Amino acid sequence: MGLAVLLGIFAFAVILGTPVAFALGIASLAAFWFEGLPLMVGVQRIISGINVFSLMAIPFFIFAGELMFHGGIAARLVRFASAAVGAVRGGLGIVNVFSSMLFGGISGSAIADISALGSILVPVMKDKGYDADYAVNVTVTSSIAGIIIPPSHNMIIFAIAAGGGISVSKLFLAGVVPGILMCVCLAIVSYIIAVRRGYQAEQFPGWTALAIAFFGAIPGLLTAVIIVGGVLSGIFTVTESGAFGAIYAFIVTLVVYRALTWESFKIAVKSSVKTTSMVMVLIACAGAFAYMLTFYQVPSLMIETMTGISSNPIMILLMINIVLLVLGMIMDMAALILICTPIFLPVAVGIGVDPLQFGMILLVNLGLGLCTPPVGSCLFVGCAVGNLPMEKAVRTIWPFYLAIFAALMLITFVPAISLTLPNLLGG
Amino acid sequence: MVDKSDVPAALSAMDKLFDGIVWICRVVTGVALVLMTIMFGWLVFGRYVLNATPTWVEQYSLLLIMLIAFLGAAVGVREHTHLSVVAFRFVVPTQVRTVMVLLTDTMMAVFGVVLVVYGAQLTMFKWNTMIPLIGISEGYRSLPLTIMGGLILLFSIGHIIRVLIGRDERADSIE
Amino acid sequence: ETWRAWNIHSDGHPNTAAMDRFAELAAEATGGELEISVYHGGVLGSQPDALEQVQLGAIDVGNFNLGPIGPIVKEANLVSLPFIFKDVPHMFRVLDGEAGEIVSAAMADAGILPLAYFDAGARSFYTQKEINAPEDVAGLKIRVMNNDLYTAMISAMGGNPSPMAFGEVYQSLKTGVVDGAENNFPSFKNVAHYEVTSNYSLSEHLIIPECICVNTANFNALSPEMQDAVRGAAEEAAMYQRELWAVQSAEARAEVEAAGVAVNEIADKGPFQAAMVSVYDDYLAANPDMRTLVEIAQATE
Ligand code: NA
Ligand code: NA
Repeated sequence: MGLAVLLGIFAFAVILGTPVAFALGIASLAAFWFEGLPLMVGVQRIISGINVFSLMAIPFFIFAGELMFHGGIAARLVRFASAAVGAVRGGLGIVNVFSSMLFGGISGSAIADISALGSILVPVMKDKGYDADYAVNVTVTSSIAGIIIPPSHNMIIFAIAAGGGISVSKLFLAGVVPGILMCVCLAIVSYIIAVRRGYQAEQFPGWTALAIAFFGAIPGLLTAVIIVGGVLSGIFTVTESGAFGAIYAFIVTLVVYRALTWESFKIAVKSSVKTTSMVMVLIACAGAFAYMLTFYQVPSLMIETMTGISSNPIMILLMINIVLLVLGMIMDMAALILICTPIFLPVAVGIGVDPLQFGMILLVNLGLGLCTPPVGSCLFVGCAVGNLPMEKAVRTIWPFYLAIFAALMLITFVPAISLTLPNLLGG
Repeated sequence: MVDKSDVPAALSAMDKLFDGIVWICRVVTGVALVLMTIMFGWLVFGRYVLNATPTWVEQYSLLLIMLIAFLGAAVGVREHTHLSVVAFRFVVPTQVRTVMVLLTDTMMAVFGVVLVVYGAQLTMFKWNTMIPLIGISEGYRSLPLTIMGGLILLFSIGHIIRVLIGRDERADSIE
Repeated sequence: ETWRAWNIHSDGHPNTAAMDRFAELAAEATGGELEISVYHGGVLGSQPDALEQVQLGAIDVGNFNLGPIGPIVKEANLVSLPFIFKDVPHMFRVLDGEAGEIVSAAMADAGILPLAYFDAGARSFYTQKEINAPEDVAGLKIRVMNNDLYTAMISAMGGNPSPMAFGEVYQSLKTGVVDGAENNFPSFKNVAHYEVTSNYSLSEHLIIPECICVNTANFNALSPEMQDAVRGAAEEAAMYQRELWAVQSAEARAEVEAAGVAVNEIADKGPFQAAMVSVYDDYLAANPDMRTLVEIAQATE
């Protein structure tokens, strides 16, 4: 009965159009009240949701991404990607994917990727005769790379949700190959569609221009080296590395690129706060929601149900994938990581899946969910950037879904894709 | 677009007040974010170069993030920037849509009240407990959420008034 | 009646077994009138959160470490004074005596009534080189828990106290962000910190017990017979825990030694205690009302 109150009010509030974060909070406090639990503790659970030191990395990664965007790093990455791979048929689609792969290596956020790269690339693509739906679809789906390719604040959230037993630097290493694999799948699909729709290639600008573009992009690309290298060499912890990414981006854009003005700095701060607070309040309220799910013993019920249906590992993995995909369609990523990890991680470990690999499965699934209606923040932002109604974008997006799904199946059933690198390099 | 030409004086006074609150929240959260970044730079410098780790950074940053999260989220409520599922609002007749918007705002207002009342109680309950290493009250941890509750209440009432007099800015995104 | 119980440890930990035993014994002794459902693994929140929930009545009972109770109940900070106890048995004698009564009464006033104490061993330093004297700590970055007494302890030895989230310690030890940390044998082993450190020096600088604590009002609302039954169950569970702890502690030590960690006894702890004089002086100057309690503890044989 209490569980029905919790889930019912949540669903009701979401359907009405209440922000998802507050729908979680409202449903949880209603359940607290229904169970006669002190509401002060409900408030405590919301606060405790973000009273976690490792979460400090989130504002830093977001801030770094915003500084890179407003300070000209993103534009230089696009220039480099365009010089390197633009000469292929439908080149700008592949440039878009390749840019996301590079940008994904320095920013942990898909939204930052879309707003940074999308706002540069989508207008250019439209100019050169690409259809708006294609431009938006490529931008939206390739932004998921930012979540899988390290660094990624969603990996930190996963490590926290897993209870601290998973090394974040190993998670970072685990994400490299799956992230690249996903980008390759997306690039193939982009190419096929581009050929069928007859999009033209860019002219190869020559090796000199490529070299110039590459050198221009180096200070930006170094951000990734600084962040991951600083962690692996023991200069700072993962949390601290985010702050260093932001400080580094600030210095590069101010001193090296001289593209950061007081006005653009203020805009970067303002949008960082906006994104940070959206993510954090979602995590906070999801904390209260997860408390009530635990209170109703949902995790253990779920484990019993799933292992009761089948004991075949492949079946269980498929089931987990399907549940995550469906949940990903209706809820946002951070909240789902926090809610689903304690429920599914034990199931996955129970059938012999490595927690690192499970993390990749989880992130790709939920990442795909970010690109789907009805709740898909990447899709929302992408359509806003491309000035395109959501229905139009969704009509032609399915081949891209298929690409991510193909990558997902490979990641699910070939453990080596995720595990080879962390096993090789330790971390 | 909401017509700005004949806005009732009371409504524009309310807007001015809310804009002022939003401006304060923006400045506070922006400064908090920059401060936090500098503090972490100082933390690494202190531990790595000076071999004297500042022990206060961790605890203060946990307080600053409360400020950024909850005051920032309050601004998001005023400006409708939080993620929500508006798809269902598209498929219903206008009157039903108005009811849905009003219901949402009412639920938000009640949520705001609960956060203010119990947030304040929690703040007072913990007021005499000191946070280790920085020696300031645990109450500061729950204060930003309490303030957010108040602001949500205020902004939601503002939304309700706008809907009732037919000046809801969300009409744009819905139509 | 059903009580909700909080426990941060997971399966296989002595305290988890003891909390399950406590629930079992309490149900038996009350003829099934009191059921205790234990939530293991800290799923109902962190320790400071859970303490608050006990005070507010959302959780009825829990297995708490006395260290984090210090900020709420000043008297509990007694156990956080470095080198206050000679060894684990001495700690139990102090808590069973007059000092323990003062601590218990203060905790009960705050709504967290201790029923019985668990053994949580002694915390010692683990670093990349042997520690035999306070000078060996000088210049080292040592991770400690969030408590002014612990940072003061490291500073008094000339070290660099580096508070850090527990989850970041493994990586930090491995890469050298910190030079060392401190914990008891079972934790040292369970969180795999022994994989990334070479020495464990038996400084035993902190002996902080855990306890079964119950919401004071809920406990007082029970009939006297029920109260006796619950207290008896807690005490029996605590005896069971101490046996399990001794076994697991010895096993953990053997295991980390087998894995190549060098464990060294510290022949003379005198210099360490001498180094703590300033820590005690500063603490008692700031908290004069703790002086009697500290003296009683020190005078306990
Ligand atoms: Na990334
Ligand atoms: Na892209």
